[in-house]
Amino acid sequence: MTAAGSNGAPRVGEAGTRMRMTGLTAACAAVLALACLASLLLGAGSVDAGPALAGLLGHGSEEARFVVFELRAPRTVIALVVGAALGVAGALLQAVTRNPLAEPGLLGVSAGSAFAVAVALTLGASAATLRSTVAQLGALGGCLCAIGAGRLRGVGDDPVRLVLAGAALSSLLAALTSMLLLVDQRTADEIRFWVVGSVAGRRLSDLSGILPSLAAAALITLAIARPLAALALGDRVAAGLGHRPGTVRLLAVIAVALLVGAATAVAGPIAFVGLVVPFAARALAGPDIRRTLWLSVPLGALVVVAADVVSRLVVQPSELPIGVLTALLGAPVLIAVVRARRLPTL
Amino acid sequence: MSGGAVSRSPAHTAVLRLPGGRTLLVQRRTQRANLLLALLLAAAAVMALSLGSTVVAPHDAVTALFGGGDAVTRFLIQALRGPRLLAGILTGTAFAVAGCLMQTLAHNRLATPGIIGIDNGATAFAVASVLGVGIAVAPPAMALVGAATATALAFGLAGGTGTRGYRFIVAGIAIGALFGAVTQLMLARVAIDAANQAYPWTVGTLNARSADAVWVLGAGVAVGLPAALALARTLTVMRLSDFTAQGLGVRVRACRWLSLAVAVLLTALAVAVAGPVGLVGLVGPEIARHLSAPASVPVVGAALAGALVMVLADLAGRLLLAPIEIPVGIVTAVVGGPYLLWILLRASRMTP
Repeated sequence: MTAAGSNGAPRVGEAGTRMRMTGLTAACAAVLALACLASLLLGAGSVDAGPALAGLLGHGSEEARFVVFELRAPRTVIALVVGAALGVAGALLQAVTRNPLAEPGLLGVSAGSAFAVAVALTLGASAATLRSTVAQLGALGGCLCAIGAGRLRGVGDDPVRLVLAGAALSSLLAALTSMLLLVDQRTADEIRFWVVGSVAGRRLSDLSGILPSLAAAALITLAIARPLAALALGDRVAAGLGHRPGTVRLLAVIAVALLVGAATAVAGPIAFVGLVVPFAARALAGPDIRRTLWLSVPLGALVVVAADVVSRLVVQPSELPIGVLTALLGAPVLIAVVRARRLPTL
Repeated sequence: MSGGAVSRSPAHTAVLRLPGGRTLLVQRRTQRANLLLALLLAAAAVMALSLGSTVVAPHDAVTALFGGGDAVTRFLIQALRGPRLLAGILTGTAFAVAGCLMQTLAHNRLATPGIIGIDNGATAFAVASVLGVGIAVAPPAMALVGAATATALAFGLAGGTGTRGYRFIVAGIAIGALFGAVTQLMLARVAIDAANQAYPWTVGTLNARSADAVWVLGAGVAVGLPAALALARTLTVMRLSDFTAQGLGVRVRACRWLSLAVAVLLTALAVAVAGPVGLVGLVGPEIARHLSAPASVPVVGAALAGALVMVLADLAGRLLLAPIEIPVGIVTAVVGGPYLLWILLRASRMTP
């Protein structure tokens, strides 16, 4: 974000934008902190907000401390990581396909990931060890399907049609996954609660398995943020500026696969986060992909943490899959985007 | 068409003379297609009756259906497989005819009730009825309310952009996702046994149908199919454009409302029996359209093809992984999904 202007006027504009970005980031971080606090204090369990606060501050009953630190803290951290990963993945995928509707959940990336895990478990792989790698391979497959479909004549020109193809692929893969679950009772028991998308009951050790790939994805994203911004001006301009469009796209797809696969491996397929978050980020910070990516991190985390809190509260004492809440949030956004006379161009 | 002496029919058609001096122009190719589909449906029906965990010879199965044969076989056919077959034929017919009407109405091949969320709307309300959320009305009635709500949403939201393009479909998918989430929300709120009771509605199966709902669906098909047939000729004209249709004397608005009402009725009652088996509403009309003469709206063909697809899918679901039964909704999704992808990825022609 440091393209220095050669004369005075743009520099003033840039300084203004930078201040705006700093303000936005601070605001997002503040809201996110509040959401995390809510996630630690509120819940379906017997521990109310007051005792939970006492537990959080180090005194209070044994039970309160257990609930806060052993149950609620891990799922909050996991929701943070999963949300940030899905938000960034959505922004990347939208930039690569130049399609404001491209969303890992809608295009079949998450479904590919879930299907791959179901296949691996049916073939006898035990749960935790292989899950994240297999999920990432499945996500890569889903990504390549979506990109391949986007290359077809007619489909790539029409963002809406690509989404339809993705939705068809997603429902096909979901049907195949549920068929596998019917066949194999053991698999079904292992992943029944995973296929609906939730962060309940996850342990921090689940997170350690995906951290390396998340770090790799973060490095890739940092490296390709500038080339992606150039790519938004068209392949020729990007090539003229010294970037290699093909390589940048490939790297972006790999990053998306790593992020979505990791998120899916831990939390199961969660749709619509990758649509809503970049949409909000663009609305707040304008069309520059670098700012979109930057804001997608706190916004994605915020969406998933907030969805998780709400999912605990609305149907006490039971819980709701997060995917239900993100669908309730995301479907109206999708309708609004599709109904707009002109789709925003990326 | 009527009155004057019809001496020669146009090419590829025949004139059917009805009692009372009325005549009907029929497309020969459509007739052949319908005959073929009817024969295939009959064969599939016999297979559905005779195959299963206990295999009955086709001849014995048909005899037992009409009250002959030994008691065990008669029970198997008349009490178990026969009603299931009937439910399959009725739901397949209803889904496919509704799909055919709605495709024609929206000028959009993909605008079938299953894809634009009407199935999910009906499912959400039927599940609400089963779980006793809100007022406890019978599932078919609640499904009707849900289907009407989803239809109103889909077509209302399409107001700005029209129903011809892909945007209408994506908006419909989003509506379907919303209703799907609402269904999940309701299932999460109730006790586990109530949720189990409502579960069949969410995947689409002929296993848990209630006899009452099948009767209601039968009555609905008895009303809806003739209505769709009567509307088909008008809809053929409406495929050209609204102005042309108006110029030819069609009351476009009335016809559109009536078709929509028939489609909603058939979809809702079928969902109340089998749950959301939406892709039948896409595949049935497509098969009929491929086989029939291109000029007409193939209501009869769609009805036959839909019933055929439904019966075969249910049979496959029962046999493939026996003794585990694959719900028919999953079978149609696995078979229909690639077909839908194929349409989306290659189609240049969107209007049916």
